Amino acid sequence: MLNFIIRRLLLLIPILIGVSIVTFLMVHFIPGDPARILAGQNATPEDVLAIRERFGLDKPLTVQYFMFMKALISGEVKSLRTEKNVMEEIIPRFLNTLQLSILSIIISASMGIFFGIIAGVKRNTWIDNLVMGFSLFGVSMPVFWLGILLMLLFAVKLGWLPAGGKGTWKHMILPAITLGMATSAIIARMTRANILQVFHQDYIRTAYAFGISERKIIYKYVLKNALIPVVTIVGLQFGYLLGGAVLTESVFGWPGVGRLIAESIFTRDYTLIQVGVMFVALIFVLVNLIVDFTYAILDPRIRYGQG
Amino acid sequence: MRNHVWLMVLLLLVSSMLVFASETPKYGGKVIYTMGTDAKTLLPPHINDSPSTQVVRHIFEGLVEYDSKMKIKPLLAEKWEISDDGLTYTFYLKKGVKFHDGSDFNAQAVKKTFDFIINGKLRRTSIYKERIKEVEVVDDYTVRFRLNATFGDFLNQLASSNAAILSPKAIEKYGNDYGEFGKNPVGTGPFVFVEWKPGERILLKANENYWNGRPYLDEIDFRVTPEDVTRALQIQSGDAHVSTRIPPVMYAALQKDPRVVVEKVPETRVIFLGINTIKKPLDDVRVRKALNYAIDKEKICKVVLQGMGFPLKSPVSEMLPGHYPVGAYPYDPKKAKELLKEAGFDEKNKLKLELATPKGRYLMDYQTALAVQGMLKEVGVEVDVRPMEWGEYVNYLFTGRENAKYDIYLLGWGDTLASNVIDRLFSSTNVPPLGENIGFYSNPKVDELIAKILREVNDEKRNEYLAEAQKIIMDDAAWVFLHNVQELILYRKGLKGLEWHPYEFLDLRKAWWDK
Repeated sequence: MLNFIIRRLLLLIPILIGVSIVTFLMVHFIPGDPARILAGQNATPEDVLAIRERFGLDKPLTVQYFMFMKALISGEVKSLRTEKNVMEEIIPRFLNTLQLSILSIIISASMGIFFGIIAGVKRNTWIDNLVMGFSLFGVSMPVFWLGILLMLLFAVKLGWLPAGGKGTWKHMILPAITLGMATSAIIARMTRANILQVFHQDYIRTAYAFGISERKIIYKYVLKNALIPVVTIVGLQFGYLLGGAVLTESVFGWPGVGRLIAESIFTRDYTLIQVGVMFVALIFVLVNLIVDFTYAILDPRIRYGQG
Repeated sequence: MRNHVWLMVLLLLVSSMLVFASETPKYGGKVIYTMGTDAKTLLPPHINDSPSTQVVRHIFEGLVEYDSKMKIKPLLAEKWEISDDGLTYTFYLKKGVKFHDGSDFNAQAVKKTFDFIINGKLRRTSIYKERIKEVEVVDDYTVRFRLNATFGDFLNQLASSNAAILSPKAIEKYGNDYGEFGKNPVGTGPFVFVEWKPGERILLKANENYWNGRPYLDEIDFRVTPEDVTRALQIQSGDAHVSTRIPPVMYAALQKDPRVVVEKVPETRVIFLGINTIKKPLDDVRVRKALNYAIDKEKICKVVLQGMGFPLKSPVSEMLPGHYPVGAYPYDPKKAKELLKEAGFDEKNKLKLELATPKGRYLMDYQTALAVQGMLKEVGVEVDVRPMEWGEYVNYLFTGRENAKYDIYLLGWGDTLASNVIDRLFSSTNVPPLGENIGFYSNPKVDELIAKILREVNDEKRNEYLAEAQKIIMDDAAWVFLHNVQELILYRKGLKGLEWHPYEFLDLRKAWWDK
């Protein structure tokens, strides 16, 4: 197990270097001159040149890449736009995203698993159809539209919850629900499919043949086995959520990391995009790693580190 | 009967007293101002975006400022003298003013600020460096600026928030670390900086020792919500109190909501179709004029902008001093067709143009481009609309003379100086890749006028030159002149004393709550 952890952690280094090269190239291939954009309207030619020089944007790409890596290792990458240390921008935003993601994954996992189980157990009944119909609705509903409708109802009409922004726990509810809607629908569908699959296994048929009550079969055998793959899905979804949900964060004015990266793409804040993407990639890989461990704990058949 | 009359009189008296009473500003309360974009920096001479300006104008003050009609009025300077040769400006400073960190505002602070700007590498260094030769401390409360050459708009330039006076202590502390300096603003203004959580909020509190008396509000909380619709909902629900850039489609609904006030206010921003005047056949003035005649500007304002704009009468916004109403090209498709025919285009030999446009940068920009496409089709011009993301668009337009492939392009320009509009956008020396005369417009007469405009100190004379330049530019059809945009501001009922300035500044310095 320890070997496995070390190996997986070491693997992070080439992954991050790869990510850094890919984002670096992508960022530099998007058309748009950051100096021109940063200089803004009314800038004199000298201003534009000064910005280019100040950030080394006039140097060859390879030189710029090594300059960036050097600054990254010493922890001194500065945002082109605000000239603050990028981590100062990224960490608070990431913590905001983390808060929202945790609430959202709690909502979506509990809703998704609950409805998935109901649909799976009551398969092919009207309940199943209703739940699956709703989940289709959840997956296909544009975040944008759902978010605004929720705000119109709960904030403007009823006045129960705030319309966007960040402050108390109340500010998190609507964005978390909006964000969790699609995720819970995916989780519900996965749960249902797994339950159906487990129901067709030999051991379940055997259990029925032994005359064990259906209730016991479902709780003791079906759910236990069906929920293992669901953990993977929940984990993966959580990883996605941590990458920041640009649309939800924008609609609700939630200062998360997704919005930060999106905004820095529009302003061509090269350094912030690069570090932001690397950071999100790192988090994603770490979450996956944790999911893999949880897997091993939940399912004794899975063992890491051998072979 | 007589009793009734007396009763009426009494009622009237009481009610008028009530009205007066309610118009006396009250102290206390907090305003949440929700903006679409976060500030970039709170270091005034490093600012080139409006959200940052919006915030720092509450913290910092300059020697002079604009009133809402864009006339210069004193602020930290009580009065000033301009030498006869126009090269020396002497300012007599207000006494008893202190910075938020306790240091004194005086001539040394003014000199220190401008030395810091001129010797630095700030985003606005070049503007001041170009003009100011030196700043001299005459005595504690008298400061003298010596200019390199006469510059008619010097006072206007000092009214910009870029020229705000910085605390000498802060300059010493942060020096050229603009990142840190930009996070720790210290000015003399009515509000003191408290905290900045990037992407979330900037909090200011009342300056209890403000030289002009404590402001009415206790706090101003600038929040960031990128989505326009959400910002409007926040005002309706009371989660925020004031916002700008409200989508025009919500105008009618907001007017019916008793909780809020929605107002249409003017901006200095003009929207136009730039023309690549060195590319054939757009180098032909007849073609350019035809494009101007072919477009129904009134209709675009009414239908596309839903009333949030009015046609341009000159390249300079009506909101700016120095604007001269030359008059818009009337909508005359027949004349457009004739001119095109003269230039060699007809049904058989159609003029084909590409119209590049940003999408979502300006109010209804892409939709305006589509309307233009439809109108030009009516006169036999085939237009291919090419929408682009802003960064890509800027790149596309700033390629330089050899690589300029574009035909016509939709662009907006907001400014505080008429002279600047003419100089930046029409001077033959200010061309891309570094300058902003993207259409390569060139007219020696205009260049000559620009030189005079920049030097002339006498307002009347300068306005004459400005008028002359505007006439020539209109007659040359340097652009397709479209419209001046307006803006929708929205705030809670009960919030009083807000003042809108057309250079996109919503002034909360004297705001108060009536509730």
